[in-house]
Amino acid sequence: MNFGDWPKAALRIVTTLWAAALLALAPQVALAQDEAADAPVAAAETTETEAAEAPAYTPLGPEHIKGVPEAGGIDFQPQYTDDGQFAYKMHTYLLVPVITVISLFVLALLLWVVVRYRRKANPEPSKTTHNTFIEVVWTLVPVLILVGIAIPSITLLARQFETAPEDAVTIKATGYQWYWGYSYPDYGEFEVISNMLSDEDADANGEPRNLAVDNRMVVPANTPIRLQTTSADVIHAFAVPSLWFKIDAVPGRLNERLLTINEPGIYYGQCSELCGIKHGFMPIAVEALPREQFEAWIVSKGGTIGGADAAAEDAQSAADAAAAGDAAGAVEAETAEAAAE
Amino acid sequence: MTGIALEQKNLKTGLFAFAGALAMLGMGYAAVPLYDLFCRVTGFGGTTQQATEADADLAERMALSAGGKSISIRFDASIARDVPWTFTPERSTETVQIGQRDLAFYIARNDSKVPITGTATFNVEPEQAGIYFNKIQCFCFTEQTLQPGEEVRMPVLFYVDPAIMQDENTKDIEQITLSYTFHKSENSAEKPAS
Amino acid sequence: MADTAATNPGHDDHADHKPGFFARWFMSTNHKDIGTLYLIFAIMAGVIGGVISGVMRMELAAPGIQYLGWWVDMLGGEASLDANLHMWNVFITAHGLIMVFFMVMPAMIGGFGNWFVPLMIGAPDMAFPRMNNISFWLTVAGFLSLMFSMFVPGGPSGLGAGVGWTVYAPLSTGYSPGPAVDFAIFSLHLAGAGSILGATNFITTIFNMRAPGMTLHKMPLFVWSVLVTAFLLLLALPVLAAAITMLLTDRNFETTFFNPAGGGDPVLYQHLFWFFGHPEVYIMILPGFGMISQIVATFSRKPVFGYLGMAYAMVAIGVVGFVVWAHHMYTVGMDVNTKMYFTAATMVIAVPTGVKIFSWIATMWGGSLEFKSPLVWSLGFIFLFTVGGVTGVVLANGGVDDNLHDTYYVVAHFHYVLSMGAVFSLFAGFYYWFPKMSGRMHSEFLAHLHFWVFFIGVNIIFFPQHFLGIQGMPRRIPDYNPAFEYWNHISSIGYMVMAISIVIFFVNLIYSFTVGKKAADNPWGEGATTLEWTLSSPPPYHQFETLPVIEDHHDYHDHRPASA
Repeated sequence: MNFGDWPKAALRIVTTLWAAALLALAPQVALAQDEAADAPVAAAETTETEAAEAPAYTPLGPEHIKGVPEAGGIDFQPQYTDDGQFAYKMHTYLLVPVITVISLFVLALLLWVVVRYRRKANPEPSKTTHNTFIEVVWTLVPVLILVGIAIPSITLLARQFETAPEDAVTIKATGYQWYWGYSYPDYGEFEVISNMLSDEDADANGEPRNLAVDNRMVVPANTPIRLQTTSADVIHAFAVPSLWFKIDAVPGRLNERLLTINEPGIYYGQCSELCGIKHGFMPIAVEALPREQFEAWIVSKGGTIGGADAAAEDAQSAADAAAAGDAAGAVEAETAEAAAE
Repeated sequence: MTGIALEQKNLKTGLFAFAGALAMLGMGYAAVPLYDLFCRVTGFGGTTQQATEADADLAERMALSAGGKSISIRFDASIARDVPWTFTPERSTETVQIGQRDLAFYIARNDSKVPITGTATFNVEPEQAGIYFNKIQCFCFTEQTLQPGEEVRMPVLFYVDPAIMQDENTKDIEQITLSYTFHKSENSAEKPAS
Repeated sequence: MADTAATNPGHDDHADHKPGFFARWFMSTNHKDIGTLYLIFAIMAGVIGGVISGVMRMELAAPGIQYLGWWVDMLGGEASLDANLHMWNVFITAHGLIMVFFMVMPAMIGGFGNWFVPLMIGAPDMAFPRMNNISFWLTVAGFLSLMFSMFVPGGPSGLGAGVGWTVYAPLSTGYSPGPAVDFAIFSLHLAGAGSILGATNFITTIFNMRAPGMTLHKMPLFVWSVLVTAFLLLLALPVLAAAITMLLTDRNFETTFFNPAGGGDPVLYQHLFWFFGHPEVYIMILPGFGMISQIVATFSRKPVFGYLGMAYAMVAIGVVGFVVWAHHMYTVGMDVNTKMYFTAATMVIAVPTGVKIFSWIATMWGGSLEFKSPLVWSLGFIFLFTVGGVTGVVLANGGVDDNLHDTYYVVAHFHYVLSMGAVFSLFAGFYYWFPKMSGRMHSEFLAHLHFWVFFIGVNIIFFPQHFLGIQGMPRRIPDYNPAFEYWNHISSIGYMVMAISIVIFFVNLIYSFTVGKKAADNPWGEGATTLEWTLSSPPPYHQFETLPVIEDHHDYHDHRPASA
C-alpha cells in the first residue's frame, strides 16, 4: 500500500468498523449464517470418506482451511471449539461492550469538562475537593463491573481446565529449535516432524505463507484430545488462535490440556514464545479429520490402531517413516538398526 | 534541626532502606529453595511426592476401606536434544488400583559411542494430581550412567493416594500422566570412559 | 521541627557560586544538575530506542525480510538469513530494555524526581548528593554496556543479545553463547544498582528533609508518587538482580538454577522476573500519575480532588502490584486455582486506577480550565491510559488470555499504557516544568502541534495492533502471513507521523533556547501552588537556604509558605 492509498484505507476502516457494529447488533444471525455455510463442506467430507473404503490417506486440500487469519480482519478468527466459542462470546458480548462503554464514558466526561469548564465558560473555579458519596460510587461501581466480568471468566477457566477422559486421543507436541514434532504414543513410536513450507511451496499448495507446513499435526475431529506439550531445548508455545488454545512447551516438564475440535478442517497457528532466530518460522498446522480418516493417516505413518506398542512394530514404523522421507523416522530407524546389531 | 543531626538521621534512614533492598536480594536467592520446597509440599506444577513403604502400607489400607477404585496411568518419556539416548516407557498406559503399589518400567538405551550420565526431571499432569502421586522408588532420584550401547530397564514404584477421590479438583481425573525428561547431567562431559 | 534557617553543611558558600564545567557536569552533586543530566540522557536513549522501533516498523510494513540485512552490515556483521533474523531479536531486545531502563525510568525518577522532589518539599538538595551522582553514572554505564553488547557475538548467528527484554532461560543461558547476553545482563545490574541507590536517596529525602510544617499528608501528589515508586524499586529490583545474577552464573559458572539438567526450573526464572516485572510497570507509570495530578490541578485553578484517595490509591496499586505477577505467564502451565487467583487479583488493580482517573476528571469538574500544552498532554494521557487500562482488564482474564497471550494485542495494550501513558505524562511534565528548569518559555504553538501529531501518530501505530493480535499475530516475529499486512502497513505509516512529532519537539527545544522568552517565576498563574513556583526560573543553584515554613492554616491544597 502506498501513501496515496491512505484515504482509501481510511474509508475501508470506516466500512469495516461499520460492518463490525452491524455484526454486533445482529450477532445471532451472523453466527447462524456461518454455520449454514460450513454444513455442506462437512457433509461433503463424510461422503468422501465413505466412498473411499480403503484406508488411504490424502491430505486435506486448501478448500478445507478454516483457522487462518483474514486479511485486514479486526475480529477473532472463527472458533472451532466449544470453549473457544464460549470465550469468543464472552469477549465480544461482554468485554468489548464494557470496555468500549468505559472508554467512551471517560472520553465524554473529558469532552464535557473541556467544553463546560474552559476558562471562558467558567472563569471562577469552584473549591470543591471532596464528595464522599461520589468517591464511594466510583469505587463500588467498578468493583461490581469487575465481579460481573469475573463470574464468566472463572467459568471459562473451569471449562478450559476440564480433564481429558481416559479414552481421549493422546498427542504430544514437542518444540524444537525451530520446528514441531508430533508423536502419538497410543499408535506407535513414530514422530511427525513439521517444518514450515517455503513461500513457493505454500503458494503451490494454495496454502497461506508462513503458516503452511510439510507435515501437519493430524488429529481426529469431534474427539477429545489429550494434547501434551514439552520442549527439547528452549521454551516454545503451542498456539492455535481458531481453537482458542495456547500452552507453553517447557523443557523438562510436560503440560497438558484437553482439546476437542468440533469439525474437520485445517487450523493454523504459530509458535508464541520467543525461541531464537526462527521463532517466527515454526508454524503449527492442525488437520482435523473424521475418525476413520485419522486412523488411515496413522496407518499411513506406520502406526497401529489398537494401542499395541511392541518393539518390533516400533522398528518397523520407524523404517516406514524413513522410507517416507521423514527425518526423525530416519534417525529412529538408524538407532533401531544400531540396537539390532 | 542542625546539619549534623540531619546527616545522622539521613544515614539511618538510608541504611534502613538499603537493608530492605538487601533483604529482598536475599529473598530472591531464597526463592530457589523455597520454590522447590513449595512445589514439593503442595504438588504445585505437578510435582510428585516421595513416600516410604510405611506410607504406602497406610494408603493401601485406606484404599481397601474406601473400595477398590482404579485409575489409568500414562507413562511419558522425553529426552533433551543433547542426549543421544532412546528413552521409552515399557508400556504407555496401565490401569492401577488407587492406593495399590505399582511397579512400572522405562527403558533407556545409550545410542552414542561415549558413556553418558543423565538425570531425569519429572512432573505429572493434570498438575493438581501431583500432591496425590507418591513415588516410593524411582530412577529419577539418582543420576544414571549408560555405557555406549547399554540398555537398562529402570523401575519406578509408586501409588496414587486415595485422598485423590475426595478432592474436588481431582476426583474427576480419569488418567494421570507421569512424565520424565532425561537431561545430560552437568558433570557428564568431564567424566572419562570408565 | 524548628523553623530557623538550616544551612546544608556541604554547601556553605554563596548561593549562586557554580563549579567549573567539568566539576559541575561530571562530578555533580546538585540535584537539579543531575536531574538535567538524567533528562538529557533519557532523551538520547529515547531517540536510539525510537530509531530501533522505526527499523522494526519499517521491516514490518510489508511481508518478507527487507531491511534487516542492511543493518547487520551496518553494525559490523555479515548479512545472511540467520544473521538477519538474529538482528531482529537483537532489536526487539534493545528496544525493550532501552525504553524501560534507559528512557522512561531515568526521565521519570531520575529527571523529574531529582529536579522537583527537593523543590516541592522545600529541601535544599537530596539527602545523599554524592550517591545521587553515582546513581546517574551507573545508569550511563549500564546503557554503554547494553550498547556494547550489540557489537559482540551473541550466539551462532550474529552479534548482540537476541533474547527479548525478559531474558527467559534457557534461551538466554544454554542457547545464546557469546558475551553479548552477559553484557546485556550486566547492563541491567548497573542500571538496577543505580536505581536502588536512587530509591534509597528518595526515601531518605522525602522522610527526613521536608520543610517545617510539611507533613506527609501535605506533600504534593508528585512527591507521593515518587515515594511509592521508590519503595517499589527498593523491593522489586533486588529480586531482578538476584534472578539475572543466577542467569549469569548459569551461563558462566555451571550453576543450574534454571537448568533442568541440574534440578533447576526455567519457570522459576519467569516467576522471579515477573515478581520484579509487574511492579516495574507501576514504577514506570506512578510518577506519571503524580505529574498529571499536579498539572490537572494547576490548569484547573482548583485543588486536586480527593487528595487522600489519590495518595492511597497509589499505595494500593503499589501493594497489589506485588501479588499479580503470574498474569504475565498464564500459558506456562499452571493449575486452575492459581490461574483463577491471578485473574481475580489482577482485576482488583482496576479499582484504584479507576479512582485516579475519576479523581482527575473531578478535579477539572467545576474548574477554570486553561488549555496550555501540559494540560492538553494530560487530557491525552487520561483518555489513552484509560484505553490501555481497559484492554488490561480483557487480558487479566486468564481464559481469554489463552488466545491473546504473546500476540500483538499485548503489544498494543502495554504501548497504550506506556508509550502513551508514560510518555504522554513525560511530555506533559516536560512542558509543565521546562520553563522552570530552563528559565525559557517554549513555544505553546509547537507544543500543541507536537501533541496533536504525536497523538494521531501513536494511535495509528498502536490501535491497529489490537486487530493484529485478535487475529492471532504473535509478538516478536520479523515476518508474517500476508493477511497481517493491512494493519501492519497502517501501523508503520503511523510511525512516520509520530516521528514527525518528535522533530517538532526538537524544533521547539531549539526555539526556546534560542529565541524563547524568559520565563517568569510562575508562568502558569494562580493554579500553580507547589513550592517550585515560588523560586526564580531557573531556580538558584542552591535553594531554600532558609527553609520555607508551611504553616498550620495551610492545608495540602496550597503548599506555599505564608510569605509567597
